[in-house]
Amino acid sequence: MISGKYLLQRLCYSGASFIVCLTITFFLLHLMPGDYISNYLLSLSNTLPKEIVDQFREQFGLNLPLTQQYVLYLGNILHGQWGYSYAYGQPVLSMIFGKLCWSLVLLVPATILGILIGTVIGAWSGWKSGGKKDFAVFNVMIVIRAIPEFWWAIMAVMIFAFYLQWFPLGGYASISVLSTGLDFFDVLHHALLPIILMTFFIATGNYYVMRNSMIAVIGEDYITTARAKGLDERTILWRHALKNALLPMVTITTFQCAGIIMGNIFIETVFSWPGIGYLTTQALTNRDLPLLEGIFLLDSLITIGAMLVADILSSAIDPRIRMGTDE
Amino acid sequence: MSETKGGVAGVQEQTRSVRELICISGLKVIFSSRSGPVRAVDSVDLAIREGERIGLIGESGSGKTVTGMAILGLLPVNAVIIGKIRYGDYDLLTAPDRTLQQIRGNEIAMISQNSGSSLNPVMKIGDQVAEPLVIHRICSVPDAHREAIRILAELGFDDPEQAATRYPHEFSGGMRERILIAIALVCRPHLIVADEPTAGLDAQVRARILKLITSQISGNRTLFLITHDLGAASYLCDRIAVMYAGEIVECGPAKDVLSLPLHPYTQGLIASLPSAGLHPIPGMSPSPASLPRGCRFCERCPAVLDRCDCDHPELVFTESGRQVRCFHYD
Repeated sequence: MISGKYLLQRLCYSGASFIVCLTITFFLLHLMPGDYISNYLLSLSNTLPKEIVDQFREQFGLNLPLTQQYVLYLGNILHGQWGYSYAYGQPVLSMIFGKLCWSLVLLVPATILGILIGTVIGAWSGWKSGGKKDFAVFNVMIVIRAIPEFWWAIMAVMIFAFYLQWFPLGGYASISVLSTGLDFFDVLHHALLPIILMTFFIATGNYYVMRNSMIAVIGEDYITTARAKGLDERTILWRHALKNALLPMVTITTFQCAGIIMGNIFIETVFSWPGIGYLTTQALTNRDLPLLEGIFLLDSLITIGAMLVADILSSAIDPRIRMGTDE
Repeated sequence: MSETKGGVAGVQEQTRSVRELICISGLKVIFSSRSGPVRAVDSVDLAIREGERIGLIGESGSGKTVTGMAILGLLPVNAVIIGKIRYGDYDLLTAPDRTLQQIRGNEIAMISQNSGSSLNPVMKIGDQVAEPLVIHRICSVPDAHREAIRILAELGFDDPEQAATRYPHEFSGGMRERILIAIALVCRPHLIVADEPTAGLDAQVRARILKLITSQISGNRTLFLITHDLGAASYLCDRIAVMYAGEIVECGPAKDVLSLPLHPYTQGLIASLPSAGLHPIPGMSPSPASLPRGCRFCERCPAVLDRCDCDHPELVFTESGRQVRCFHYD
């Protein structure tokens, strides 16, 4: 289904795209107004001695011309050296991986549930399109999707955490963590509300794609052929329509799974959840460029990998896609 | 598998019978559209006799495909259907879904047009051909696959075992049309509704497909061919019905209709064939949303009479037993 030569070719392209992503990220971030010194250090003390500033610049190579900084950065990255955070002085990669597990706690269940729920309801809704039930579900989904997720998050915190007090207001664990250590149920209690919110949001996105895809498949001639064979509607849905309608979902869900690594900026910020999304917001406000670059580079790597995975998966489902054999 | 079967409609196969297998009476199919109701099929009466090969010809939009789909009960849900289609003890228009599902594929099968899109792209050919046998519980899954391979071989696949494991996109248009024929024939149905089986095929492939259909549809099998290809109809059919703007305008033995057409529209159709000098009928057929009050062909008719404009002709029998809808034969 996939030839070795094609895979090698794809890997070369992937490497090239990574370098391009790195370059664009580097220069775009340096185009941002303000830097770590003006945005963060000066806010701590108005009378920052010049010697300290100079020493900081020298330490991080900020006194060099930008092109020279870029060449150094590129070389370091290729050697696996992703640099040090301005604010924490720690290696960027270990900082990211330290926060990653907290993002996974939220996003792995939310993404899996969101994909499953969205696909199943979307398939059903598309199959019943035009009916009253489909109309009702469709409109509920529009309302959920049309309002930004941070609004839902704030509302959920207000209603379920503040008024009803079913859930904590934020964070990942109770204060008791200091004396008793992390407790699974305590973390789950904190994670449940953000997980539910994200599940809803991911599900609605998948719902639309699956519904549209199913509606397109219903009109296909091979569905008429299946009916002419004497199949009942349920068999037509499961055996003939579903697999065809799933094809566009493969690419989208692969990217959603890749997105797990990137965290969720809005939800993590509203719930003060110490994941990658929260780290990104902090790095951005502080202009902690090495950290930001590290996060974005990891995103690029994951996305590039996801594209390759999506291609392989599609060719496994759809026999018409024979990658690399059409030359 | 035996040649004879009872079937849900209790249709007994008889040799040389002139029994009516299907009797369409007063069939009207109306679709609602923004510009008002569209009468796609209007008062069609047609009997399909057992063992005959009948062709329904007409141009695109004349309602021939809609008529075929009505027999199979495959019209879209937004269609308003009036009339009766009697098949055995059943009226196919009012029979419950379960009954229709038992009849479809098993007793009445369809060869669809668009061979490119009528096969499921992500399902192996063998599975698609064997599927009707399995769902109608005619035989076990392995037997169904053996039967599918047998019928593929019969339909001219050189290596049917290997073909059965491949996917539709790996075949040419002609081969895909054969696969569709295999799907229609695999349960040995009484009636085969073939909707433009030669559309989009080149001349050589078309000739081969036509030969194949003749060789497969013999004995008591009945063919209902829907086509605008007059050549195919004359090659395959014993009897021809001509449709124009939702109505049958002429019906009779194929040879007579094609050699001595009665209705001006049929005459025009035959004159428009390349072999007859390629003289197209002037004008366009009327929109089914705004049909004329009188004869539907009167605007394009070269032999129009005064009354054609306001009176609507009925389908009448001529002395020779043919049917025509034209005031010239009143």
